Order: sequence, then structure tokens, then C-alpha cells
Amino acid sequence: MKTDLYKNYIKNANTHRMNNNVIIIGGGPSGLEASAQLHKMGYKVFLIEKDSQLGGHLAKWDRLFPDSIEAKSILENILENINGVKYFLNTEVESITLLDKEYNVILSNGTTIPATAILVACGFDLFPAEKKEEYGYGIYDHVITNADLENWFKTGLDDRIVKNPKRIGFVHCVGSRDEKAGNRYCSKVCCATAVKQACEVKEAFPDAEVFCFYMDLRMFGKGYEELYLKAQKDYGVRFIRGRVSEVAENIDKQLVIKAEDTLSGKPVKVTLDLLVLMAGMKNCVSSAKIANLFSLKTDEYGFFTGKDSIYKLQYSNKEGIFHAGACTGPKTLPESLHEARAAALAIDNYIKSLE
Amino acid sequence: MEERIAGGYDPFVLPFMIGIVFILTYLLIALIRIICIMPKSDRKRLGLSLLKPKIIYKNIKDIFGDCLLHLKIFKCNPLLGYMHASIAFGWFMLIVIGHIEVALFTPQRNGIIYYPLFYRYFVAEQTPTPKGSLFFFLMDFFLLIVLSGIGLAMLKRIRSSALGMKRTTKPCVADRIALYCLWAIFPLRLLAEGFTAEISGGGFLTKSTNTLLANFFGNDINVLPMWWAYSIVLGLFFLALPFSRYMHIPTEPLYILLRNAGIKPSHPRKGIAEAEIYSCSSCGICLDACPMNTQKKNIKYSSVYFIRFLRKNNTQKTNEIADKCLMCGKCVAACPVSVDSCALKQSQRSTITNKLPYNYSFLNDVTIHSETHISDINAQSGSDNNNVLYFAGCMTHLTPAIIKSMTSIFETVKEKYVFADKDGGICCGRPLILAGRTDAAKEVIEKNRELVRNSGCKTIVLSCPICMKVFKEEYNLQGVTILHHTQYINNLILQGRLKLNKSEESFVYHDPCELGRGCNIYNEPRNVISAIGELKKADKEKDKSICCGGSLGSLTLDYADRTQITRESLQALTIENPDKIVTACPLCLKTFGDQSDTPVIDIAQAVADNIK
Amino acid sequence: MTGFGYSLTPSSRINLDDKDKEKWNKLIDLEPDVLKCMACGSCTASCTAGIFTKTSLRSAILYLQNGQEKQAMEYVKSCLLCGKCFMVCPRAINTRHLLLSISKIYTLK
Repeated sequence: MKTDLYKNYIKNANTHRMNNNVIIIGGGPSGLEASAQLHKMGYKVFLIEKDSQLGGHLAKWDRLFPDSIEAKSILENILENINGVKYFLNTEVESITLLDKEYNVILSNGTTIPATAILVACGFDLFPAEKKEEYGYGIYDHVITNADLENWFKTGLDDRIVKNPKRIGFVHCVGSRDEKAGNRYCSKVCCATAVKQACEVKEAFPDAEVFCFYMDLRMFGKGYEELYLKAQKDYGVRFIRGRVSEVAENIDKQLVIKAEDTLSGKPVKVTLDLLVLMAGMKNCVSSAKIANLFSLKTDEYGFFTGKDSIYKLQYSNKEGIFHAGACTGPKTLPESLHEARAAALAIDNYIKSLE
Repeated sequence: MEERIAGGYDPFVLPFMIGIVFILTYLLIALIRIICIMPKSDRKRLGLSLLKPKIIYKNIKDIFGDCLLHLKIFKCNPLLGYMHASIAFGWFMLIVIGHIEVALFTPQRNGIIYYPLFYRYFVAEQTPTPKGSLFFFLMDFFLLIVLSGIGLAMLKRIRSSALGMKRTTKPCVADRIALYCLWAIFPLRLLAEGFTAEISGGGFLTKSTNTLLANFFGNDINVLPMWWAYSIVLGLFFLALPFSRYMHIPTEPLYILLRNAGIKPSHPRKGIAEAEIYSCSSCGICLDACPMNTQKKNIKYSSVYFIRFLRKNNTQKTNEIADKCLMCGKCVAACPVSVDSCALKQSQRSTITNKLPYNYSFLNDVTIHSETHISDINAQSGSDNNNVLYFAGCMTHLTPAIIKSMTSIFETVKEKYVFADKDGGICCGRPLILAGRTDAAKEVIEKNRELVRNSGCKTIVLSCPICMKVFKEEYNLQGVTILHHTQYINNLILQGRLKLNKSEESFVYHDPCELGRGCNIYNEPRNVISAIGELKKADKEKDKSICCGGSLGSLTLDYADRTQITRESLQALTIENPDKIVTACPLCLKTFGDQSDTPVIDIAQAVADNIK
Repeated sequence: MTGFGYSLTPSSRINLDDKDKEKWNKLIDLEPDVLKCMACGSCTASCTAGIFTKTSLRSAILYLQNGQEKQAMEYVKSCLLCGKCFMVCPRAINTRHLLLSISKIYTLK
């Protein structure tokens, strides 16, 4: 008797899942993880990715802080769980209409999908480093970004990196904490990334001197402070508290950078063979379009805003539309994955409540 | 024509006489005061200028063009120009022809100040003569022109947009009195002359007015009251004049003389400055010109209000406005009287900032460093004295693209050049001047001058328009050609030294304030761009170009307000959807670069990318 | 009992109790941006006068916050007002007006 009731309950619980479609916008880590979770629950999941491959920025990264786990292995783990999820590559949302608690979404490839809930997980873009003109990205021969360096770790291909660089510098906060760049916020992940990359680059070029120019080092997560210590103790990375404000090039195409060592109160000048700009996070290029189509609220930087900043972060201002990951602001990878799972649960609760 | 009233006098001329005597005394005292307060050197300068035929010619031309015909307002809006020109020139002609009439017909009354004005009352023509009819016609014709202008002026008060002005100034009490008197003067003159036309004769306008009025009001009884009214409003107008905006009418010619003598204000209330602020007609054209005024809250910082507060000696307000101004010069370019309010604001700033202490003793040590640097390179290039000195400027070091492009252009044309401030140099002094610290600026300028002189170069190329302006105006570098890189590149193209590819790209050019309005360089950059691609038009161009918002001119404008101006300026630049925005100032480049969706590049970059 | 303890005159310690708050508050009134500085050092790094002197707006602000007015003035007296610091400041501090305001408040009677 008891088991019958329970079986019945389970059956009911599952039918609402079978009959409802969920659309997920963005095939990065949080979009993928949420698809996997919702798919496991029994929902029909449709994943929309504007790029030609899944994985977002994770697919372009080499290794991840703080333990230098390979990005590839994490991505493979996530992708294993999305078998059965219907996904569209090179596709964007064209229009959306709401018909009695159900959204009708038309995609750029012509497909129309009715959906009960939509998860916006369109992620972030890297700040275009060439906007900080004074650093000379795209102008000088040996200035690269954090993403360029990861690509070099992966592929070993980049003409801008000389054979045996003597001195390498990292500039933190490029396009973050910067009123002029229009981004007053901290991008959260660049400090740890810079320290990680400083160690890795030192591994690649053991004879090179490595400098990190920072304003404040924000090593807040588990294992991050240890990473910082390791960088100092084991890799001899020199941390200079001062923001780089000017980069010039000498006759040998080396970079002469100017900063202030604020701790000694003296301007410093150092000649580098490679300068790495830690480009921060900004809102994704398509977030404005999505916000417009769905009438979603965004903050002054174009990131989506949840119903509140603590308890209802995953809920958007529109019924049935949810957020996960860096589309609401800079996030670390574990945070994005957690949010994806939290969003999956929130969607499940929401659809249940409709029955 | 014959005198009608024996003795040539009637008591109704008294109100006018009181007014005119008052205003003439006032003006004479004011003139003496201005001349006395003026620094001795300026006085000498003015005296000498009045003897030079070239300046005399310019004075006459400007007084005719600016004070009477208001040609500058015509450029701004033809209808508004007509309004001003019709009143000023019409009135002027009425006075001139009135005097000719007196001289021709009643020479015994020559020199009686009221006579030409009330001529029609005192003199009559019993039998028509061709000469008399001609004068009747001329007087009526010009009266009609003035009346049409007055009509437009009334319309402007009600609907300023009809005359191309979005905003107009709020008049003060004296302004209102003078304004209503001015409106009343000519209709009353028409009525007075109209009623008198039957006795004294008249032209097409006065005669027909007479016929029309006679049917309603009768004639003789109204003659005297009308002349009284006419005389009273004239007198009242003159009494209110010194306290109203119309003080610009008598002041402007003086200002033109001082301006053409090349005198610059050294104090906001002394010498030329005094003439300048009374020349402001409070017309409000500067309200629409000011880039800050896209936000309503900033309207109170417009030049017209600055001058108004300056007249009232309200130091607190004048300081506030002076510190806020971007010094972009848009209002100066638009001003029909050419009041250089930026120079006034600068001198207002000086009253405070020039007193602040500073210590530039380090400048003494700078020489050695720069000299060795220069001679080093001289040795490499064979100590050729004809080489080019490249002075990038402080700001250009924040825009590596400009330096890199210029270096590449120099190398392409095989120019023997010295990069003066490769490792940083001394500031040009213009930012100090803009802040009012003219004394401090002198030290910096002297030092740089010495460095340039010692380098022995014949040409100096600058990348920053801020430097450009001060090098041209204050450095006194005879024998050295001072070029901004837009001019330098243009010369290279004209001389055939630089061959460029014409690309498919389209560009719009942003005129930096200091280069356009500041140095009058408008065509060279456009020629250069036309050589490499299609030049598109901006909504506001040349001397109407909107400041990028990054100006060093403003001391207190906050970043949010600056951002608003940047957006406004970008919007005006991109109306024709150009592929790229081209500018020629590192400050504009960086300021636009932060905000713009359309790529922004310097002209040197655009050229370097298209070298054959 | 009277106080007892070791002391050295003059003490090298900054005593925030002695800070002249009146002038500091006046400075905040005149240019509130002084509160925005996060001491990144961009201004000092690209300072035109800083190549030849110890001009540093960041240091001046720090010294003023600590009430060390005399020292602070050493860092601003050679400023050329060129405005580079305004261009590089990540907090968009109105540096030129701040520099003028410091001079006004701390040197003019």
C-alpha cells in the first residue's frame, strides 16, 4: 500500500518533467551543467550556443587555478552528462513570445521551441584589452592577454612570445576596477589566474624574472593564498603593488613599462620581453539583445540582475526565466557550476508549482 | 524743405536730451576709466595700432561687418542675422541720413544733437521736390526695415526656435526696460512721423500711415503727444542702457579696436576685459553652443551668465563658472561679438591660481639630460641642422599608436629627426595657462624654448594640439616652423614624399578643440583623409565640432558629465555611419576610445596603415 | 599616579589624533574626489614632473590623510598640471582640481 502510494508519487513527479521543455541559452560550463542536471531529472532540454563549439571560455583554457587541473578534463566530465540533450550550435534566439505561462522561442536557424522555463547562461566576454590604449595591445609586438597565454600553453603557437624571455610582466585589473573602462567592479578571477599563469610561465622559462603588478591581491578562495605563497616561495615571482600606467617600446622592441612601487613610494621602470594583460570580465556581447528580447533587468554594466543578490540570485525579474553563471557578474568556475545546479533545482521547483 | 518751428526747439525734446547727455557722459567716463586701468603696454599698443593702415582697415571692416551688418549671426541663422542687421544697420542709416538732411536743408541747425532725430517735426516740405521725395523715401525705407527687425525681435521673445535658437537668455529688469523701450521707439517714430506727415510731408510709409490714422483719430491733436512719447522712450532707453545688455551697442566698437590691436585680458575686470564684458549682448547664442548644455543643470555655467555675474562683481559665481568651463572655445566661435569668454575665464582663474606657490627649480637640471639625448642622435644623423624635432607631448605617451605611427612615417620618408621627449619631457605649459597659472607657465615655456633653440632644428613637429596652440602663441620661435603632425603629413603628401593607398574605408574627422578652433587647422587633416579613403561628414564640424569631453580646460566638471559630452560628440560624428572615427589629438583619442563603438584612430595611424 | 612609560621625542609614529580635520574637511568640500583614491600609483608612475622630482599625488593624499601637511606639500609643489594623472586614474579622480585645491587649502592663508 505504502509503496504503491510512493510509486504513484514518483510517477506524478516525473510526468510533469517529461511534458515540459526547458531552453538553455549558452553552452558554457554553467549552461552545460544545468542541461545535464535538468536532463537527468527528465526534462526535455534544448541548449542554444552561438559559437561553433560547446564549452565557452573553458574550452579555450589550458589549466585551472588553484590546483592546475586541466581544463580539458573538467569539460569532458561535464560533457559526458549531456548525452541526450538536444543542442544547436551557431544559433541565437531571434524572438520570444509568452502564451499562457509558456514561452515560444524562435531560433535563428528557423526552429520554434515552446518552453516552460528558460535559463539564461550566456556567460561573459573578456574585456577587449586594446581599449586600454596605453598598454599597447595590438600595437606593440610583445603584449598579449591572459587568454593568449592560455592558448600558447595549449598550442605552443604565438609569435609574440620570444624564445627566451628574460623578463615577463603581468598587469592585473585590465579593464576591471576602472571607471575609464566603464567597469568599476572587480573581475574576481584575474588575480588567481595571474598568479597561476606566473607560476606556469616560470615553469616554461625557468631563467626568466616574473613580475606581477597588482593594486590589491584578491586571493579569497580555498587554496588561492597557498598558490600565492607558492608563487613567491617556489617560483620567485616578484609582486609589485602598483598599477602599470604606461608602456613604451625601445629600439629592440622590448617593452618599457612604468608603474609606481607604492610600497616604497617610488616610480619604477622595467624592461620586459613579454607583457601579459589580465583582461577582466565584461558582460557578454549578446546579453543586451537577450535582455531586450526577454525584458530582463540588467545592472549598469549590462550584467543581468537576479531578484536579489543573496537568496534569489537565480531568479530573473520575469516568471519562468532564470540565470546561472557569469552572466550575472564575474564568477569563478566552481561558482558557475554551483549556480547551474541551483538554477536547475529552481527551475524544477518552478515547473512543479505550475502543476 | 523749410524750417517749420521758429528757433528749432520744442520742450518735447527734453526727455531725449536728458537721456543722451546722460549716456554720453557715462560713456566718456567709462572710456577714460578703461584706458586708465589698462596696463601701459596695452595702451601703447592701442595707440600704435590706430596708426597702422592695415589695422585701421580691419577696424572699419569689423565695425561695419560686426556691429552694423552682424554678418556672423547671418552665418548662424539668416533670419536671426536679418533681425539684428535690420535694427542696427537700419537705425544707423536713419541717423546718417537724418544728419545729411540737416546738413543739406537746415545747415544753421548743424550740431544740434536732437535735430536729426526729430527732423520731421521741425522741418516741412510744402511743395514736393525730387530731392525731398528721395529723402522721404529713404527715411521711410529704412524705418520699414527697422520695423521688420523689431517684429522679428518680438517673435523671438515668444518663439525663439523660429529664429533657430533652442534657448534664449532670461532678461533682468534693466534689460526688460531697455527692451520694451527699444520695441516702442520705432513704432512710435512711425506714429509721430505719420501724424506729422500731413503738415511736413512724408514718404510711402508715413504718408499712408497718415491717411490711415486720420480716418480714426483725426490728426493735429495727436502730433505733439506722439513726439513726446517718442522722445520719452528714447530718453528712457538711454537711461536704462548702461545697466542693460544693450550696453553692447556703444561698447562693441571700442572692443573691436582693442581686439584688433592684439590686446589680451590680464585681469577679468581691467582694460580690454571691461570692454569685452560690456560688449556681450546677452543674445544667448552661446547657450546652444556650449557642449555642457546637453544637460539642463549645466545651463547656468554658460558664458553669457559668466559675463553677467562678472558685471555684477559676483566673485563666487564667476569663480564657479570659470572653473567649470571646458575652454573648448565653441561659444567664442559662435559669439557674434567675438567675446573671448575663455580668455576671460582664464584670467578669472588666474586671480586665484596665480597666487599659489610652486617650485620648478628642477627645470635647471633638465638641460643636461635633454641635450645629451639630442646631441647623441645628432651625431648619428650627421649633425644636420635642418632636421626635424619631434615633440610628442605628455598625453601622446599614453597613446602608443600615435608615436609608433609617427616613427614609421618618419622612417618611410627618411626624415632626419630627433625625438625630443622620447623618455618623457617637460609639459608644454598650456595646461598651466588653462588653469590660470600664467606665471608658472612662463618658466616652463622658457625652459622648453631654450631646449628647442639649442637643438638647432628648423622644424618642430607636434602630436598634441594642446602643445601646438601654446608653441604657436607663446613660444616666440622665429625661424622655426611649427607643425602639427596633420600639417606635416599633409606637406609630405603634397611634396610627393609620402605615397598612400586609397582604401575602401570611410572616415569621419573629429576636429579637436585646440587644433580647430585653437589653431585654425581644418583643411589639412581633411586633405590627408581624402588621400586614404572616403571622408564622411559629421553633424557638427569644424568650428562647431563638439568637445570630446576629455578637455584639460575644465577644472571641476566631473567624470559623469564628461561622459555625457563624449557620447553627444560621438553621436554627432557617427550620423553617416563611418567605418572609423579619425582624430588628431591624443586626448580625444583616449577619451573617445573608452566610449565609442566605432573604432577611433589617430590620423597618423590611419596614414601609417595605408603607406604604399 | 602619573602616567609611566617609554617615550622618544619626537616620536616617529603618525598620530592620527593630532590631525587637523578642519583643513581636510575643507579639501573634501572643495574636491570630494580626494576620498576616491585607492592608492594604485598610476598617477605617480606616469607623472611628467615625476621623472625629475618626487611629485606624487598618491603620496600627497596619503600624507594629508595622516595629517602630515608639510611632507604632503613636497609631493605637489613641482606639479606641472599636465593632466596625465587624470587620464590614467582608474577612479577618474579630478586630479588637476584636486592638486590646485590642495595648494589652495594648505598653503594660502
